[in-house]
Amino acid sequence: MRYPKRIRRLSVPRRTAQLATAAMLVATTMAACGQDDGADSSAPKAPATIPELTKDPLTLSFIWFDWPPAHALEDFANAEYAKERPNVTIKVNTVPNANWHDAMFTQFAAHKTDFDIPILDSQHIGEAVTNGNILDITDFVKKNIDVKAYNPYLLAAYGQFPQAETGKRDENASMYGLPLLGDTWTMIYRKDLIGDKPPQTWDQMISVAEKCQADHPGVSGLAFHQANGSDAAAVTYNTVNGVYGGNLWNAKERKIEGVLNDAAGQEAMDVLVNKMKPLTAKGSGNWFIDEVNATVAQGKACIAFNWIAASGGLLDPKQSTLGTTREQILDKLGFATLPSQKTNLVPLGGMGMHVSAYSSKANQAEALNFIKWFERADIQKKWAAAGGVPSRTDALASPEFLDAGPFNQVYADSVPRMRDMWNVPEYARLVDIENTNVNAALNGAKEPEDALDDIAKEQQGVLDSGSGKGGGGL
Amino acid sequence: MAVSVDEAVSTGSVRDHTPPARRFGGRGRSVLEVALLTVLAVVMLFPVLWMIETSIKENRDVYAIPAKFFHFTVTLDHFKDVFAAPGGGRSDLSVAFLNSLLVAGASTVLATVLGVPAAWAYSRFAVKAKKDQLFFILSTRFMPPVVVVIPIFLMYRDVGLIDSKLGLILIYAAYNVPFTIWMMKGFVDEVPAEYEDAAMLDGYTRLQAFRRFTLPLLLPGIAATAVFALIFSWNEFVFAIFLTSSDGVRTAPPAIAGLIGGTTVDWGLVAAASLVFALPVLVFAYLVRKHLVAGVTLGAVRR
Amino acid sequence: MAFISPALLLLLAMSVFPLLWALYLSFTDYSATRGGPAHFVWFENYTAILTSAQVHTRALTTLIYVVGAVTLQTALGFSIAYLISRRTHGRGLLTTLFLVPMMLSPVVVGLFWRFMLDAQFGVINSMLDSLGLGQVEWLTQQRTALISLIVVDTWQWTPFIMLIALAGLTAVPKYLYEAASIDRASEWFRFRTITLPLVWPLLLIAVLFRAIEAFRLFDLVYILTSGGPGVSTETLSFHVYKVAFLGFNTGTASAYGILMVLVVIVLTQLYLRYLNKLKED
Repeated sequence: MRYPKRIRRLSVPRRTAQLATAAMLVATTMAACGQDDGADSSAPKAPATIPELTKDPLTLSFIWFDWPPAHALEDFANAEYAKERPNVTIKVNTVPNANWHDAMFTQFAAHKTDFDIPILDSQHIGEAVTNGNILDITDFVKKNIDVKAYNPYLLAAYGQFPQAETGKRDENASMYGLPLLGDTWTMIYRKDLIGDKPPQTWDQMISVAEKCQADHPGVSGLAFHQANGSDAAAVTYNTVNGVYGGNLWNAKERKIEGVLNDAAGQEAMDVLVNKMKPLTAKGSGNWFIDEVNATVAQGKACIAFNWIAASGGLLDPKQSTLGTTREQILDKLGFATLPSQKTNLVPLGGMGMHVSAYSSKANQAEALNFIKWFERADIQKKWAAAGGVPSRTDALASPEFLDAGPFNQVYADSVPRMRDMWNVPEYARLVDIENTNVNAALNGAKEPEDALDDIAKEQQGVLDSGSGKGGGGL
Repeated sequence: MAVSVDEAVSTGSVRDHTPPARRFGGRGRSVLEVALLTVLAVVMLFPVLWMIETSIKENRDVYAIPAKFFHFTVTLDHFKDVFAAPGGGRSDLSVAFLNSLLVAGASTVLATVLGVPAAWAYSRFAVKAKKDQLFFILSTRFMPPVVVVIPIFLMYRDVGLIDSKLGLILIYAAYNVPFTIWMMKGFVDEVPAEYEDAAMLDGYTRLQAFRRFTLPLLLPGIAATAVFALIFSWNEFVFAIFLTSSDGVRTAPPAIAGLIGGTTVDWGLVAAASLVFALPVLVFAYLVRKHLVAGVTLGAVRR
Repeated sequence: MAFISPALLLLLAMSVFPLLWALYLSFTDYSATRGGPAHFVWFENYTAILTSAQVHTRALTTLIYVVGAVTLQTALGFSIAYLISRRTHGRGLLTTLFLVPMMLSPVVVGLFWRFMLDAQFGVINSMLDSLGLGQVEWLTQQRTALISLIVVDTWQWTPFIMLIALAGLTAVPKYLYEAASIDRASEWFRFRTITLPLVWPLLLIAVLFRAIEAFRLFDLVYILTSGGPGVSTETLSFHVYKVAFLGFNTGTASAYGILMVLVVIVLTQLYLRYLNKLKED
């Protein structure tokens, strides 16, 4: 056996020091050169009319996270779009959900993307626009899209920046995207345990869940998102906050402190932590979409909340213990719009399509053509039939959509009730602050009032901090 | 029972004069030790056994409470899903496996080709500030990957290596070169320099002498070193998740991580994919079992 | 040297140059996405990091984790090695079996433990339940989450310590024991005066390797708890990741990273010096 070599004190000889200095100088100049290319940070404009499309084989790439709608989109687009553009192949690249934002924005930061159409979360638009990562398609929308065919807020939420007021669209604001997949929360309830009628108010919902849990040992009253990753716990708090009449911020004055943690905000936090959390399963404090679905499929929850686009798996008998056929499962599971309390707000989910500023001209043209095609009335209905959630009002009212899933009526009814989070460049940090603090409050790592005050204070700090100071981002 | 008694007695008698304490209560203690070892082995191996069980269960049984240990329907569907896409054709996972194979293989070859000659030179020649150089080389391996990934990312974006297999190959090679040099230097040290000196007296050049006489003796060492480099690249996650994003480039670890966070977690598939992914490493590790100690300590500890 | 320079060149390009670049950026407010020129803020990033309460919390978490995990796996790994070294049959097979966890990818380890530690559907709670011990919230309570992280890391890396300790134990020359047994020394005395001193230096090297690895832990946190509940299992590495990729505060993240590298280098140097002194005594 030999012992490791004795290692001498780390001494820096003079030559090494000189070398290091030289290398650092090189690094400095290189870095300085490398930075100017991003200085122009307004989004480049897309042409109003679609340029001539190529006849050569072309692959149009998307980026999304790994979930069933991503696979549905790839299959749907390859089957239908190819009918008009046989030389085009559609590829939907998927990344782990936890890595979705990072995967898109690291490529944006690299000024080179392997995707032509990024599918941004609605709140990512601000960051992408401010950094000049996606095309300004205002003129393209004016010329090619019938904006009157949509609920204005859907267009605004998935495309407009700066952000619109809840429920409205600013017709003079610039557009950077168009809707791909609409989404909101649905309430999933056990008809065999709480009856056919879903509770109408939030208070009712809590007392029904309480009774159901007491009557059925082993089944918990509620199941909802509590994880500290993605936007899980944040959306949960925001939903309760909206229902109890709170506000996330005052957008005009960029004020969060004193707005989020006002009386309504405090009440919402109290309801969430002290009334709803006790009705959830033990150890559910890290649950997100998967876990809520699993607990419903295993028959372990009376009432659950989940994104509609993620609820399809609940009807799959292979994953479920509720029945051996879809019909049997549907005898037990009901889907309803969220209960209301002081307001009837519901969270806006879903994503829009955008065009990468770093794609080749040919691919950008193809992307615009795809988007125009996708927003056509007949295609929107086909997308609905293929399992997607369209955005055009006519498609939402069509039997193709309403008959495709038991939760689709819920979506159609929820559209006028939607509210989104802050769509600002600092979104990723705001949502992380909220996620970790709400998660801490739900798991007893922080007092609820302290958590809410911390969120308000830290988020305000993020909004107020400009560049030119050290230590940003801590 | 008889066998174990026989064994205990015979070892006891043979070892009587060189005993690590078989003098008092030798048998009772031996039984206790075996029992303890068995318990520890079961605890350590249980997760692996559970992984194997999960991979052959139907998803309905995976979540069963209380957990089903024995009575469940066996299915091989999950293993099929690892390789074949639901609609036919190749699954994304199998593409990721192929990418892993290419990236790990190429980076290992590169690290070996660069590292072995350097190790030889460090062992044979008087190099200026040799110890400093060697320590510096080792220290590059100890930087936290999350920290390294930031400047690497900035560098890669300027040269267009983001989201490319070449980018991963280069960074893995750079992580494996220090290891290769340290590990191989130990192997070269064990081959007497006199072999080469003698060959040179016969008219060979130094390089020819190395190739004809030293290299063949080093081959087992090179193989062992390469296997460790391969295992590192094969299992690596941090660089893979931050530097790649498209299905065609992504290696297996981020692809497996991508199996959760959709809408339902197919734990059977996760288990099957993990097993398929771990199998080559286990086989390789078994092949180089003699060099494991040196391998896991970057060659700092050998025997 | 023609043989060394290609390897050094690769290291210069892929390790040194990026590190120097990071060093430069650490004195600026540069952001990788916002673009625009970098402004020099000199040591502001460093002072902000060193005085940040957020960073102190993560440092404490990391410290508890490193000390807890390394202590546990050293004790366990050495015990297993000792037990194996006393067996005459099946040593090779036992060693191989015990080594399996170490060979798995951290992704696989993290994912699968998350599944097993699930409070509702996990097999661990299922077993505890059938023993009448009730359910434990492994990943969602402040204390248990950190303990879970330590347990999982210990599961994966105990074999590492075991392997190295075993190398030391099997190399203890027999004649030393023989001499001791003639002296009728007690077993504990023999263990303390013969076995331990010979295995100790090796064990210390193993501890060093584990401590460095544990200090930079990222993947397990990312997959097992993503830092939760709240931020109670966020390690320094995980915090650097958030600073670097959520807000793209590249300057701050670079300074943070440089500080981490410095900590590793300084502590390693001190530790190696202590080791050398130990050997000289």
